[in-house]
Amino acid sequence: MNEQLNREDCEAVVQRLWPHLDGMLPDSDRERVIQHLESCAACQSHFDFAKAFLEAVAAAQPEETPNPALLERVLKALSGEGFAR
Amino acid sequence: MSGPGVENPRTTSARDAEFSALALPHLQAVSRIARALVQNDSDADDLVQETYLRAYRYWHTFDRATDCKRWLATICRNAFYDFKNAEGAVSSVEPEELESLAAVRVHKAAIEAGLGDMYARLDLGPAIMKAISALDPAFRAVVVLSDIEEFSYDEIASALGIPVGTVRSRLYRARRLLQEALMVYGLDAGFASASNSKMGNAK
Repeated sequence: MNEQLNREDCEAVVQRLWPHLDGMLPDSDRERVIQHLESCAACQSHFDFAKAFLEAVAAAQPEETPNPALLERVLKALSGEGFAR
Repeated sequence: MSGPGVENPRTTSARDAEFSALALPHLQAVSRIARALVQNDSDADDLVQETYLRAYRYWHTFDRATDCKRWLATICRNAFYDFKNAEGAVSSVEPEELESLAAVRVHKAAIEAGLGDMYARLDLGPAIMKAISALDPAFRAVVVLSDIEEFSYDEIASALGIPVGTVRSRLYRARRLLQEALMVYGLDAGFASASNSKMGNAK
């Protein structure tokens, strides 16, 4: 019975995986997820994997490299509208 | 009252200085957003230029209490829709809860393939950018705005002119597609960890 309840709880928790990681859950749901993760290593590992993915995506963007040609093009177009540098 | 062509030079100068200080620093971000919306660099540059032209023309409507990058993102989206005159078909999206469950399936598959620790072990940056580029534009836009530009769900909904529920659905689906693409990349590149691999025992 407990195992059945726990499985249902796991499903409810992993359904909230992305909203939780995005910080978009209401307080009551967030607390429930956090409490479950503290005692469920399997669910915690799913959340860790998804979190690592999000961190990898956030870090994937190459260093900001100014694009002088695009800036020049935009400034030239803006000057046609009366923009002065 | 000033009409076209008879603007006060001092006012114009102040406006241009403010535009330079607040709008132009977001050129790279607008460029990334444009590239998320269109398929090629040439179209993206056209979209960036059009975004800045519109921003300049309507600069008087910009609410200084709000974030300029998000305002520019909305203009960029409007310009994109005007260019394309339609959003285009978007493949159907599963309910959000199912997408979260799918993320768990991806994790299990990664473990079975010996890639459970791939984000810690591999430099996936170039593969991630390539996978993002390959996404359907509707999915690409939400994942770039959320996971790279750090917009909230509400801000993405506002910038793209779509309901928040659609933002969530597209975002979760996009993430799953990216995770699947990265797993394929890891396998193709031979990165599967032999010690972790359970491909032969997969249930």
